Amino acid sequence: MWHPAWQAVLAASPSPTPAPTVPGAGIFSSSLLLSITVWVPVLVAVAIATMPNPRGRYDTLMKQIAFFTNVGLMFVLGIAYNQFQTFLPTLQYEEKVSWLQAVGATYHLGVDGPGMTMLMLSGLIGIVSVLASLGVRERVRSYFCLLLLTQATVNGAIVARDMFVLILFWGAAAIPLALLVLGWGGHRRHQAAWRLLGYWGLGTAALVLGTMALYSAAGGSSFDMDVLLKATIAPRVQLAVGLLMIVAAATRLPLFPLHGWARDVYSEAPVGVTVVVAGSASRLGAYLLLRTLVAAEPAAAHLLSPLLAALAALTVGYGALVALRALDLRQAAAYLALIPGGVTVLALAALQPLSIGGAVLSLFAGGLAAALIVSVCATLSDRAQSRSLLVLSGLAPRMPILTWLTIIAGLAILGVPLLGTFTSDLMTFFGALKTQPIGAFAVAAGLAVAAVALATLWRRVLFSSPNPDAPGVSDASLGESWYLGLLAAGLLWIGVFPGGPKLPGTDSPLFDQGLVNVMSAGLSDIASPYVLPTGTGQ
Amino acid sequence: MKDFVLLPEALVAAAAVIVLAAGRLGWISPGARRSLPAVVALVTLVALAVELWAGATLGTYFSGGLVQDRFALFAKAAVLLTVTIAFAVVDWTAEDSLTIGLAMPLVATFGVMVAASAGDLVALWAGLELAAAAAVVMVALRRPDLALRLLVTGGVASAMLLTGLAFLYASAGTSSLATMRAVLFSGAPTMALAIPVFLVISGLAVRAALAPFQLASIPASLGASPLGAGLVLGLVAAAAATVAIKLLAALTPIPAVYSTYLEVVAALAMVGGGAAALAAQSPRARLAYLAAGQIGWVAAGLVTHYRSGLGGSLFLLGAFVVAATCGPAVMGRAEGGEHGLAGMGVLRPARAAGLALAMLSLAGAPPLAGFFGEFAVAAALAQSGHFALLALGVLGTALSLASVVGTLRTMYVQSPPDEARRTTRLPVLTGLSSFGAVAFCVVIAIYGILSSPILGLADQGAEALGLR
Repeated sequence: MWHPAWQAVLAASPSPTPAPTVPGAGIFSSSLLLSITVWVPVLVAVAIATMPNPRGRYDTLMKQIAFFTNVGLMFVLGIAYNQFQTFLPTLQYEEKVSWLQAVGATYHLGVDGPGMTMLMLSGLIGIVSVLASLGVRERVRSYFCLLLLTQATVNGAIVARDMFVLILFWGAAAIPLALLVLGWGGHRRHQAAWRLLGYWGLGTAALVLGTMALYSAAGGSSFDMDVLLKATIAPRVQLAVGLLMIVAAATRLPLFPLHGWARDVYSEAPVGVTVVVAGSASRLGAYLLLRTLVAAEPAAAHLLSPLLAALAALTVGYGALVALRALDLRQAAAYLALIPGGVTVLALAALQPLSIGGAVLSLFAGGLAAALIVSVCATLSDRAQSRSLLVLSGLAPRMPILTWLTIIAGLAILGVPLLGTFTSDLMTFFGALKTQPIGAFAVAAGLAVAAVALATLWRRVLFSSPNPDAPGVSDASLGESWYLGLLAAGLLWIGVFPGGPKLPGTDSPLFDQGLVNVMSAGLSDIASPYVLPTGTGQ
Repeated sequence: MKDFVLLPEALVAAAAVIVLAAGRLGWISPGARRSLPAVVALVTLVALAVELWAGATLGTYFSGGLVQDRFALFAKAAVLLTVTIAFAVVDWTAEDSLTIGLAMPLVATFGVMVAASAGDLVALWAGLELAAAAAVVMVALRRPDLALRLLVTGGVASAMLLTGLAFLYASAGTSSLATMRAVLFSGAPTMALAIPVFLVISGLAVRAALAPFQLASIPASLGASPLGAGLVLGLVAAAAATVAIKLLAALTPIPAVYSTYLEVVAALAMVGGGAAALAAQSPRARLAYLAAGQIGWVAAGLVTHYRSGLGGSLFLLGAFVVAATCGPAVMGRAEGGEHGLAGMGVLRPARAAGLALAMLSLAGAPPLAGFFGEFAVAAALAQSGHFALLALGVLGTALSLASVVGTLRTMYVQSPPDEARRTTRLPVLTGLSSFGAVAFCVVIAIYGILSSPILGLADQGAEALGLR
C-alpha cells in the first residue's frame, strides 16, 4: 500500500520506479518548452505594462491575466513533468543556442530531476503568489509586472545550464523584488529593500567571482556547466570556488550569519511577495549548492561539508532561538522560515545518496513550508489588525481556518509525519547521521527548540484567553483560504504520498530518487542506488 | 565601394557646417525649425546606413592618416547610431539653441569618427580635441563658468596628452600606430616610455571623466542642457576611450609600462563610480557617476592587453556610448532632485522606460547591453588572471545597481504629484521623441540578444589593431 519512496526511507533498500507509461506523451511537444516557462511571464509583463488602463479600469483584468498566465504555465509544467523520463541519464527539454561566442557563453537550458522538482515548485508558488496578491489595490499594473518578472528570473535560474545564463537570471531577480518591497511593503520597507539588495548583491558578486575562477581554471573557453562543472580542477581552486558558492547560497537561502535580509523582507513585504521569496526564490541558494558544489566539486564538497553542517546547525538553532524570544508575529515567522533551509543544507553536507535525495525533496517541501509559515502569519496579523505578540491572544475560537493553517505551517517546519517535510527530514537525518553526526544532532536540537517556540506561539496567540483590548478580528477570506490551503494541501499530499502526486494512469511521481541520478551520474559516492530498469526503453 | 568609405564623415561634417551656417545666417524658417531635428537625424541615419554598407571595405587614406578597418567600422557605427537616437529623443524645448544643439553633437561625432579611423598620433589627438571642443561649446550655452572650468581642465589634460604623445613619438621614431607597434615589439619597458604613457593615460582619464579624474566633466554635465550633458558624458568619453584603445593596442608589446597604472585607474573608476552613484541625490548626477563607473570597466578590459579584453572593451564601449549619451536626453529637464521624476512611469511611459534602461544598462544590470559588455570584460579579466580587479569591478557594479533602484522607485512606484506642485517640468511629448525613446529602448534591449554578432565584430576590431 505504501509508495516505493516510503519503503526506501524505512528500509533503505530502494527499488527503481517502473518505467512510466505516459498517456500524455506527444500531446504537447515543443523544443522551446523551457524558454516558454522563462519568457512567457516576461512577455505578459511587457503586455501588461503597455496596455492602456485609464483610471485603473482594467486592474481586475490585469490580475486575471497574471493568474491565468501562471495557471497556463503550471499546465505546461504538468505536461513536462508527466513526460519527464525519470531514469534518463541526460538533461531533458534541452535548448542550446550560441550566444556570446567570443567568451564561450551559450543560451543553454535544460532540466534534470532536481531542476524539474524546482520548476514544479516555482509553478505552484507562482499561482499562490498571484492569489495572495489579489487584494493589491494600488499601482496594480506595476505590481503584477514586477511579480511576473520575478517569476521569470526564478524559472530562468532553475533551468540555466550555462553559468552565464545562471548569473543573468540570478542577478536580475533582486531588482523586481526590491521594487516590490519598496513599493508595497510595510513601514520598514526601505530597510527591507536595501538589505535584500545588499545581501543578494553580495551573493551575486560571490557567484560571479566563483564562476570566473572556474572559467579561468577550466581553460577560459566556455561557461557551459557541462564544461565548467566537469573539468578537472585543482583542489585549491575547488576550495576557493566552493567557498564563494557557499557565500552566494548563504545570502540567498539564507544561512546564518548572512541572513540579515530575511527578517525585514519576510515581515515587511506584501504577502504575495513573501510567498515567492520564501517559497522559490530563496530555494535557489540550496539548488546552487547542489549544482555547483555537491555535484561538481567532489574534493571541495568533502572538505567543506563540516562547514556546511555547522552553518545548517547555526541557522536552525539561531532561527529557533530568536523565534522563541520574538515579540512580533511576522518576525517570529521570518525566523522560523529559516529552518527548512538549514535542514536542506544539512542534507547536502551529508553527501550521502539518501540525504541528497532528501535535499531535493526538501527543496520542494521546505519551500512550501517556509512560504506557508510566513504567509499564514502575515494573513493572521492582517486579520487581527496587530502583529504584536503582546496584543494577539486567544484567536482560535474566532479564527478557526487560520488557526488550523497556522498549526499545519508550524508542524511542517518541524517535519512531523503526514507532512512533506517529514519525509525529507527523515532522509536527511538518516544520511547525515552517518557522516555528519554532530551536525545532525545540533540540527535536531535546533528543531526541538523550534518546537518549544512554536508551542509557545500557538499557546499565546491561539489558545490563551482572549485579549479584551485587542482590535477586532476576522477569519481568513475565501481568497486567503485558497492560497494558504493550496500550500497546506501541497505539503499534505507529498506527506501522505511521498512519491508525489501522480497523474491518473501514470507512474511518474513528483519526487523520485531516480531524478537525482541525472545530476550525480559519474559521482559514485553520492549516486543514487537506483538503476535504470532493464527493458524499460528509457 | 572604396570611394564611399569616407562618405559618412563627409555627411556628418557637412551637416554640422550647414546647420551652423543656416542658424547664423537666419536661413531657417519657423516651420523648418520644427522639422530640422528629424531631418538631421535622417542624415545621420543615412550616414549609418552608408557606414554599414561601405564600411566593410578596408583601406587607408591620406597617406595612412586614416585607416578603415573593423575597429573603425564598429566605433563609427556605434557613434552614428547613438547620435541618431539622441537627436530623435531629446526634448528640444529644454535645449538652449536648436542649431548649436544639432551642430555640436555632429562635430563631436565627427571627432569620434576621426579618432576611430586614426592611423597616426596626430589624427588620434585631433579627433579627441574636436569632440572635447564641441562639448565646451554646448556647456557654454547655459553655464559659461562651467564651460571655462571644462576648458581649463581639458587644456591641462590635452597638454599632458600632447606631451606624452610627443615623447612616444620620440621613443618610437614614428607617429604611425602600426609602425609604432612594430617598433615596440623589439623594445623594452623603460622609464622613458613609462612616463609619457603615464601622462597619456592621465590625460585620457580626465577626458573620459573616469572617477576620480572627473574634475570638470561631471560638474559641467550637471549644469549643461540634456543634450550637452549627453555629449560630455557619452561622446567625449567615447572619444577618449577610442583613443585609449587604439593607443594601448600599439603599446601591447610592452604592457609593463601601463598595466599597473591603468589597473589602479580602472579600479578607482569602477568602485568610485558605483559609490558616488549610490551617494548621488539627483538623477542626472547618478547617471553621470554610473557612466564614470562603466567607463572604468572599459579601462579594465584594456588592462588585459589581450584581444579578448580589448574586444570586450570595444563591445562595452558601444553599449556605453548609447546609454551615456542618450540617457540625459531621455531624462530631459529633471535637473533637480529625484522627486522631479515622480510618476514619470505613468505620465511618460516610453521615456521612463528609456531612462530606466539607460541607468540599468550603465549599472550593468542583466539582461541589458551594459551587462553583456561588462560580462565580456569580466571573462577577459578572468582569462588573464586579474581577479582582484574583477572583484573590485563586481563590487562597483553591485553599488551601481543598488543606486539605480532608488530612481526606479521614484519613476514607477511613487504616485505622480499634482502638476501644480511639480518643480521640474517633464519632457514635452512629441511624435519624434516618443519614437526616439522606443528606438532607444529597443537598442538597449536587443544589444544583448544580438550580442554574438556585435561582439564578433568588436573582436574583429581588436584583431584589426594587431592583437592576437
